[in-house]
Amino acid sequence: MNRIQLPGTDRSPEVDFDFASGRFVLRGESYPEDAAAFFGPLLQSLRSYLSASDAAPITFEVGLAYFNSSSAKALMNLFMPLEDAAADGRPVIVRWLYADGDDTIEEAGEDFAADFDHACFEMVKEARV
Amino acid sequence: MLAQDFMSFHEASKRNGVILSFGGDLSESVLFSLGEVLKLRMQQDDTDASVAKRVFSIFVEQAQNIIRYSADKVVPAEKPAARWISGGMIAVGTEGGRFFVVCGNEVGQGEVTGLRERLDHITALSSEELKRFYREKLRQPPDEGSLGGSIGLIEIARRASAPVEYDFQTINADRSLFCLKAYI
Repeated sequence: MNRIQLPGTDRSPEVDFDFASGRFVLRGESYPEDAAAFFGPLLQSLRSYLSASDAAPITFEVGLAYFNSSSAKALMNLFMPLEDAAADGRPVIVRWLYADGDDTIEEAGEDFAADFDHACFEMVKEARV
Repeated sequence: MLAQDFMSFHEASKRNGVILSFGGDLSESVLFSLGEVLKLRMQQDDTDASVAKRVFSIFVEQAQNIIRYSADKVVPAEKPAARWISGGMIAVGTEGGRFFVVCGNEVGQGEVTGLRERLDHITALSSEELKRFYREKLRQPPDEGSLGGSIGLIEIARRASAPVEYDFQTINADRSLFCLKAYI
């Protein structure tokens, strides 16, 4: 599958879905004008990658300084097939990046972590910019 | 006469501690610009970063609720969401040392009961229960007629420091004005 790379904007995250290496990145701010239009194609490509590829390890990195409720929904939609893949024995690491002192994002990460039983969910504290 | 008319609007805004208000046709690009101004204002006033984030978050959810659910739609819902324009009001201010974000928009009479029930439910929940309800909703497919995963109202309640206030006022046989106010 072709790598998906989108530059970040003021309201949508930088995207790097590198299917060949199994490394996926979402970084920045996320309250896109149309969350379904933004995340829909990403979710679709992740799903087809998961069903088509072998059980190669996946690292999915999320570092969002802010995301609205539509983006939270989209994140959950991305996380669920990852957890399913991990339940099927695929090594999956989700890395949740949050700025030191950002309680909102840290707590949101802990909430998402609770939905993972098989994938490894890592909380990664970053120095405040 | 002109200045006198607008003086009452100006004074009412000042009296109510309003730092930003918008009434009229709201789009995603208007939301973005208002949000930028709001962030800048809070930065200049040295607002606590965590409070500023919560104010901004509630502002975005309320503005997107207007764009998506206002019955007063300028651009029909068949167009892509990025191009929707809907009528409503939104204001951010301070009152007794707390921020508030308040919004209003017209809703169809048929939606009043359901919306009231959802808000009655949400405002009765503790913060732990809100968190659980939010996670539950994240995992579910969206409710009928909902576009954003029906979790915007829960997000507003979670970020607020007191139960959200809401009210309905009948406009005519078809429409009511729906208002929602959250304190941070």
